[in-house]
Amino acid sequence: MDKIIMHIDFNSFFASVEQQANPHLRGKAIAVAGKAGGDLRRSVVTTASREAKARGVKTAMATWEAKKICPELIIVPGDPQKYAMITERLLNVCRKYADNVEQFSTDEVFIDVTLAADNYFGASMLALMIRRDLKATCGSVCTASIGVAPNKLVAKLASESVKPNGLTVVRPHEVEAFVRTRPLADFCGIGRQTEKRLAELGVTSVDTLRTVPRARLIELFKSYGEWLHDASFGQATDVLKDDTLPAKSIGHSYTFPHDLQTLPEVKKNLLAMADKVAWRLRQQKMVAKRITAYVRYGDFGGDGSARLLNVPVSDGLTISQNAWQLLAPQLELERGVRLLGVSVSELQNVALPTSLFRKEQRMQQVVTALDSVQTKFGADAWRRASTLQTSFRERTSGWHYDHLAMANQT
Amino acid sequence: MHQFCNDPIDVVVDFSGQRVKPTSIHWNNRHYPIPRVNLVHGAREGQKRIFYFSVSDDTNFMKLRFDTENLTWHLIEFYAD
Repeated sequence: MDKIIMHIDFNSFFASVEQQANPHLRGKAIAVAGKAGGDLRRSVVTTASREAKARGVKTAMATWEAKKICPELIIVPGDPQKYAMITERLLNVCRKYADNVEQFSTDEVFIDVTLAADNYFGASMLALMIRRDLKATCGSVCTASIGVAPNKLVAKLASESVKPNGLTVVRPHEVEAFVRTRPLADFCGIGRQTEKRLAELGVTSVDTLRTVPRARLIELFKSYGEWLHDASFGQATDVLKDDTLPAKSIGHSYTFPHDLQTLPEVKKNLLAMADKVAWRLRQQKMVAKRITAYVRYGDFGGDGSARLLNVPVSDGLTISQNAWQLLAPQLELERGVRLLGVSVSELQNVALPTSLFRKEQRMQQVVTALDSVQTKFGADAWRRASTLQTSFRERTSGWHYDHLAMANQT
Repeated sequence: MHQFCNDPIDVVVDFSGQRVKPTSIHWNNRHYPIPRVNLVHGAREGQKRIFYFSVSDDTNFMKLRFDTENLTWHLIEFYAD
């Protein structure tokens, strides 16, 4: 039996949620950017409202640039908890109508409605019911575009073809013709680099992509060439992943309100960040073997390196010490440190063995006690004295926002 | 004007089933009726449950924070056209 897949995509997600919460922002050009209480001039636009998009404001544009294009633009700091809650409501609505639900991003979801809908007419009815439920649970301003098709690739293309609040159904016999109407940039899986490379080969549309023999695409792009060929005909064998895969890495990066100019500032912030990473590691009962540290300077250049450890770690101090050893030799303070990042990978789901040394045993006991305090009173329940002067505001972006940690907390 | 604050406030609420709906607040020696609750969302601070109410009248938007542990209300965000 052919699958019936639905793709649901919130329109201008963060901006719509803000307009839902605050009716005085409705109908106005707004952009969600930065962190509450932070310097919004150093931020980039995370989401622009439909009104702002109509004036040329785009995602990832610097806020000063957006203001230049659209002087009346209202910049609203992001509120990740609010967005996470709306995402959770979207998932709950979807689970009501389908067994198989795959969260694709913070505002996008694929659902398999093959059994629930039975046919494309049933799928259209389900889409309307989902839309009604979303309006009831998330509010009338949070609209979503819905695409229904035989596979994920075409369902996503379909939902993106009509915005806002569209419902596009592409039945199996319509797939080939529908796909021809879509630009290559709309295909999930064809990024800017691939588009550029294809353009160099004279491929600028689905029609021209179809004329390239499959063997030639495989020769040029390896197995991805096969995918490209199939995609040009709307064929895909992608399956819904209804499970949350375990994390491959855990990290924190932060853009500071001003460029850091001194070593102690960098060191303290690195330690505070490492503590956050370590807490999330321990929450997930994991240890890490690889540590990566990176820096971005005021001129937007950057550096970074990684280290593999002999013994896995889960405490902030060790992560910070290793990150510092990685960064210190290459740090160019005169360029001003705009962003710092620490991440750990090669994660293992095991408990750390008890150390043979008394000092390390005591440290493990302290960390365990501090974890209990954080579990009860929240992530900011304790801090090292040396990091008292550091403060990290919550990040807006849904893509990088730690929804898993959020879900674990709620 | 968009301002962030953390001011303790008095709130009058309606209880309807399992839901709580703020109907007016008292802040800065002024009384503000709340005709609209636009969005309610929750969060956790450790084991403490917090609810945020995004409410508005014809000219103002306010975000209220309700701490379920000590049953206190705070005004945390204020926006006026």
